[in-house]
Amino acid sequence: MADLRPLTALGADTARSARFGALTLTERPDIALASLALRAGAAEPAPFGLTLPGPGGLSGSQDHAAFWTGAGQWMVLAEGRAETDFAAELRAVAPGCSVTEQTDGWAGVDITAPGADPLERLTERLVNLPPEALAPGRATRTVLHHMPVLALRHSDTRLTLFAMRSAAASLWHALETSAQRQAVS
Amino acid sequence: MTRIPGGLIDRSQTLTFSFNGKRYTGHPGDTLASALLANGVHLMGRSFKYHRPRGPVSAGSEDPNALVTLRSGARAEPNTRATVAELYDGLTARSQNHVGPLGFDAMAVNDLLSPVFAAGFYYKTFMWPRAFWEKLYEPMIRRAAGLGALSGEADPDSYDRGYLHCDLLVIGAGAAGLSAALTAARAGAQVVLADEDFRLGGRLLAESDPLDGGPASDWVAEVEAELRALPNVRILTRTTVFGTYDHGIFGAVERVADHLPVPGTSVRQTLWRITAKRSVLAAGATERHIPFASNDRPGIMMAGALRAYANRWATLPVAGPQDRIAVFTNNDDGHRTALDLLAKGANLLGVIDPRADAPRFGDYQLFAGAQVTGTHGRLGLSSIEITRDGRADWLECHALGVSGGWNPNVHLASHHRGRPVWNEELQAFVPGEGGPQGLIPAGACAGRGSTSAALGDGARAAQAALSELGISAALPRLPEAEDRPLRQTAFWHVPGKARAWVDFQNDVTVKDIALAHKENMRPVEHLKRWTTLGMATDQGKTANVTALAVMAELTGKAIPETGTTIFRPPYTGVSLSVLGGGDTGKDFRPTRLTPTHHWAEAQGAAFVEVGPWLRAQYFPRPGETHWRESVDREAKAVRSAVGLCDVTTLGKIDVQGRDAGEFLNRVYSNMMGTLKVGRVRYGLMLREDGHLYDDGTCARMAEDHYVVTTTTGNAGLVYRNMEFARQCLWPELDVQIISTTDAWAQIAVAGPRSRELLSRIVDGFDLSNEAFPFMACASLSVCGGLRARLFRISFSGELAYEVAVPARYGHALMQRLMAQGADLGVTPYGTEALGVLRIEKGHAAGAELNGQTTAAMIGLGMMVSGKKDSIGAVMSRREGLAEDSRRLVGLQPVDPEAKVVPGSHLFADGTAQDMAHDQGWITSACFSPHVGSSIGLGFLEDGAARMGEVILAANPLEGSCAALRVVPPHFVDPEGERLRG
Repeated sequence: MADLRPLTALGADTARSARFGALTLTERPDIALASLALRAGAAEPAPFGLTLPGPGGLSGSQDHAAFWTGAGQWMVLAEGRAETDFAAELRAVAPGCSVTEQTDGWAGVDITAPGADPLERLTERLVNLPPEALAPGRATRTVLHHMPVLALRHSDTRLTLFAMRSAAASLWHALETSAQRQAVS
Repeated sequence: MTRIPGGLIDRSQTLTFSFNGKRYTGHPGDTLASALLANGVHLMGRSFKYHRPRGPVSAGSEDPNALVTLRSGARAEPNTRATVAELYDGLTARSQNHVGPLGFDAMAVNDLLSPVFAAGFYYKTFMWPRAFWEKLYEPMIRRAAGLGALSGEADPDSYDRGYLHCDLLVIGAGAAGLSAALTAARAGAQVVLADEDFRLGGRLLAESDPLDGGPASDWVAEVEAELRALPNVRILTRTTVFGTYDHGIFGAVERVADHLPVPGTSVRQTLWRITAKRSVLAAGATERHIPFASNDRPGIMMAGALRAYANRWATLPVAGPQDRIAVFTNNDDGHRTALDLLAKGANLLGVIDPRADAPRFGDYQLFAGAQVTGTHGRLGLSSIEITRDGRADWLECHALGVSGGWNPNVHLASHHRGRPVWNEELQAFVPGEGGPQGLIPAGACAGRGSTSAALGDGARAAQAALSELGISAALPRLPEAEDRPLRQTAFWHVPGKARAWVDFQNDVTVKDIALAHKENMRPVEHLKRWTTLGMATDQGKTANVTALAVMAELTGKAIPETGTTIFRPPYTGVSLSVLGGGDTGKDFRPTRLTPTHHWAEAQGAAFVEVGPWLRAQYFPRPGETHWRESVDREAKAVRSAVGLCDVTTLGKIDVQGRDAGEFLNRVYSNMMGTLKVGRVRYGLMLREDGHLYDDGTCARMAEDHYVVTTTTGNAGLVYRNMEFARQCLWPELDVQIISTTDAWAQIAVAGPRSRELLSRIVDGFDLSNEAFPFMACASLSVCGGLRARLFRISFSGELAYEVAVPARYGHALMQRLMAQGADLGVTPYGTEALGVLRIEKGHAAGAELNGQTTAAMIGLGMMVSGKKDSIGAVMSRREGLAEDSRRLVGLQPVDPEAKVVPGSHLFADGTAQDMAHDQGWITSACFSPHVGSSIGLGFLEDGAARMGEVILAANPLEGSCAALRVVPPHFVDPEGERLRG
C-alpha cells in the first residue's frame, strides 16, 4: 500500500464526529462508492448479491448498498472499503456495465438519532423533500444549502448524506448549525 | 388606566415595558398596542406625510398607524405594528417620524402645508432647476416624509429555513380554520395549521358570542388540545403565510423568538416553504372604515377593533370609565360593538348609523340617518360632530368605533393571478374562480363570516379538499354559534370639504382621490401611483376598497369596472434576513476547497474565489512585499526548474461505452474517435450557434473509456450539455457519463525538471520521451502502490505533466512532491502565475473564450473538423461569422515601461477612437518575467496579417492610451520544443 497518509474530506487524519442533543453527526471516510451504469443490451447485474433498486430506492446487505441515480444507473457503496480499489472490484462483478470510481468524489456524513423524530425534524430544515421520499429504504438526489447531495435513509435512526467532497466543510457547517438549533429548540 | 374586567390576559403576571423612554406595565397576552391603551396611551405615532398624531385603528396586522421601532441598537426594528407586537418583559419601543417629542412634532408644520403636498405633489413641484432634484429636493422630501429608520448595524440574530409537505395547509386558525383543521386531522391527513397570531382562535377571541353556550375560547382550547395530540398535525402559531406560489407552494414566516427579549440560543425567525397538496384559506376579513372629516385622530378606530380590545384585551381606548365612546356604523355588525361596550360597562354615547331605518339592538341611543361630520382633539379625540337632517351637533366623545363593513381577506387567493370578484350583495370583493390551484377559501375570507357559517364552511372546505386527494373525511359536530347575516350597504364616505382620510398610512384623503380623478389618473394602477394609496407597510388593507369605491363614484362606473390593483406577496412585511435563509458572510453560499487547500493555507497562500472554489492565488515568501514579486518568482521557477499547481478544479468527466468515441466526435468540434488509447488530445466545444464555449483535454484511457477535462468555470455546464446530448439528442448511442471532478486530486508538475521530479514518485513507470511522449496518458501507481493517472499535457508551454490520485491523497502527494523536489528547485505556484505562463505561451482561457469568439479567432479554425458533424460546426461556417477577421495576437508595448491594460480597445493610429473605428480588444495581460515587460493577448482585425504593426490600445475609462506592437501570441517557445522535450 502507498506510503502516503490520506486526509478526510474535512481535512483531518480521523473522521470527525459530534453530538448535538439527540443527533450525532459522523464523517464517513470509510465508505467506498462506485457508479454503475448499464450499457446497451447489458443484463442487470446483482453485484455482491444486491438487488438494484428502482427510482428512489435503496437496497442493502451487511456491507454493501445500492441506490438508484438515474435510468439504468446506480451508486454502489461498501462500508470500510474506501482504501481499496472498489471500482475494480465492482467492475469484476458487473460485466457489461460502465463502472466509475466515486469514493473520493463525495464526502459522507452519517446522521444518527435514537428515533425517527429528531432525524425528521432535522431533515425538514435541510432538504425540500416530502417525508416519504426519505422514509427508511429510500434514497434520492436533492439540494441542501445550494449543494447537490445524495441522501440515503438506511433506517429510522440513520441517514447518510453525501455532498461533493470539495464542499465537505460547507456541508458540515450546514448540518452542525441545524443540528445545534434542533438540540436547543 | 382603563383596564376592565375579563379578557384573555394573564393578570397573575406583570410585564414591564417602555415606550419613548417611559415605563409601563402590562400582562402576558397583551400586544404592545393593547398594553399602551390600557395605560392610557393613545398617541403612538405620526403619519407619513402630514405628521398627524395617530393611534391604532385596528387590533391586527392590517394596522396602518401604530408603527413603532421595537428594541434598540442592532436589534432595532422599524415599522413594527404595535397591534401585533406581543408584549414581553423588558420590551422597549419608540415612536417614529417626528422631530422633537411625539406630542409636539416640529414636522407637523407639514399639516399646515397640506395644499402643497396633495396627490402627485412631487411629480409637480421641485421640478426646477432640474439638477436640484437628485441632490437637494429628493433627499429633503425623504427626510421630511417617511416611517422608521434602520439601525445601520448588522443583524445580530440567526434565521432558519425549512420545508414542510402536507395534504392540507390551513391558513388561519379562526372559526373556519379550526373546523377545517379538525375535519382534516380526524381523517388522518397530514395537516399544517398556520396563524399569524400567538394564540389560536382568530376572531373568536375578540367576540363575546358563546359557542355551545360557553366562552368561545373554551372551544378553541378543546380543539387545540385535540390537534396538538395528533401526530399528523403541525400547528404553527406566530406564523404568517405571506405568499402563494406555483404548484401549491406557500411562503410562511414563523416568528420563533420575536416575543422574547433576545432570541438567546434560538433562531429569531424561520422561513417555511410549505408544499401543500390542497389548502384552505381561512384568512378572515378586515374591517373597513368610513372616511369623514378629520377621521384620523387617536381614539378613532374600527368598531371591531374597539370590541376586540374590550373583549380580548380588557381595555378601552379612553382615559377613564367616565369618558364617552360612540360607534359610527353603516351596518349591523357595528352595533355589536355597542352591545359589547355596554356589557363591559363603558359610557356609551350611542350609535350613529346613516341608515334611516337603522335597527337598534339594545338599550343605547341610536342616531339613525345621521353621520359623523367632524372631530376635535389635538392629540386624541375629544368631540365629534353628528349631523342629522342638516343639523349639526358637537358632542363630547373620547373614542369612536367606525364600521363601514368587512372586506374578505382575498389576498392569498389573489396572489397567483387570481382576481377577486365583486359581490353586490355583500358590497365587497370575494375570491374569484381561477385562483391558485387547490386553494379553497372558507369562512369570512369567502364572504361567509358569521361564526356559524365560518365553522361549517371550514369543515366543508377541508372535506372537499381531501376528497380530491381520495381521503374521506367526516364533518365534525360543530358548536352552536351566532349566525347573524352580514348586511352591508353602499355608504363609502361622508361627503364634505374637509380632509377625510382614506389611507391613513400614506395620508391619502378623499380630496386626493378627487384630484387624481380631475387630473385623469383614473385607472386604479394610476390612482395608486399618483396618490401613493395602498403603498408601504400595510399595503392599503384598510384603504384600497374604499378608495376604489370613491373613484367609482367619481367616474360614475361600477366598482368591479374600476377594478383592483394586482395582489402580490408578501401579505405582511417580511424581513430580508429571514428571506436570506439565515446564511451570511462566508457561509452565504457553499465553498469548494481543493484537496491541497489545507496545505496551501499552511504555506501562507493568498486565495482567490473562482466560482465556488477557493484556489491558491500565489504563495508569498518572507521578504516579498508585493504580490508581483511572488508571481514573478513562481513563473520563473516553472520556466527554469519545476513548479506545482493544484488543478483539481478543472472539470473531469468520465465517458464510457461502446459509442464513447462517436459521442465525443459530436460533442467536440475536432475528432476524438480516432484518438489512440493512451493519448490525450486538446479539444474545442462549440455552442449551437457556432461560438466557442469551452476547451480542454480529452484522454483515451481505454478503447471504451475517455476522461474529458473542462475549464473550472464550465465544469457543470459541459456536463449538463453532455447529459442532454446523451439523453435527448442521441439516445441511440451507447455512452455513460459521470462527473469525477472531486474524486481525483490533480496536480500540475511543470517545468524542465518535472520529469526528474516525477520519476522519484512513480512506481517503476518509464517516463522517457519515447515511452511517454507529449500528450500521452496512463493509469499507473505512485508512492508505493497508490493508483494514479498521469497526463503529459502542458498549459505553461514547458515540459509538464498532470498527476491525479484519489482526492484524499492530494494533500500528501503535494507534500511528497515538495519534499522530493527540494533539490530541484520545486516551487508551488498559484492561479496568478498560471495565468502569466499561459499568456506567455498564447494559450486561450476564459478571457478569450468569452462566448463571443470563434475557433478561427483564436487561430484554431482548423479544429472545427469538416469531416464530421458536431454541435455548432455548421453554424460556425455561417455567413457573418465565418468572415470575422479578428484573430488572437500578442501585444507588446513599444515603450517597455508602458502597461498593457486588459479591456482596452484597439485602434489604428490616427483614427477616431469610437465604435466605428474599433479594431478589437485586449483580452488578457500581465507582466511577463520571461519577456521583461508587460504583455497581452487580444483580438485584432486581420490580426494574423499585421505582425509588427504598431497600434493604439485606448482605455477611455481611465484615460490612458498606449502604443503596442502586434506580435505572434506565443511569447515563449513558439515552436513548442520545450513541451515536447
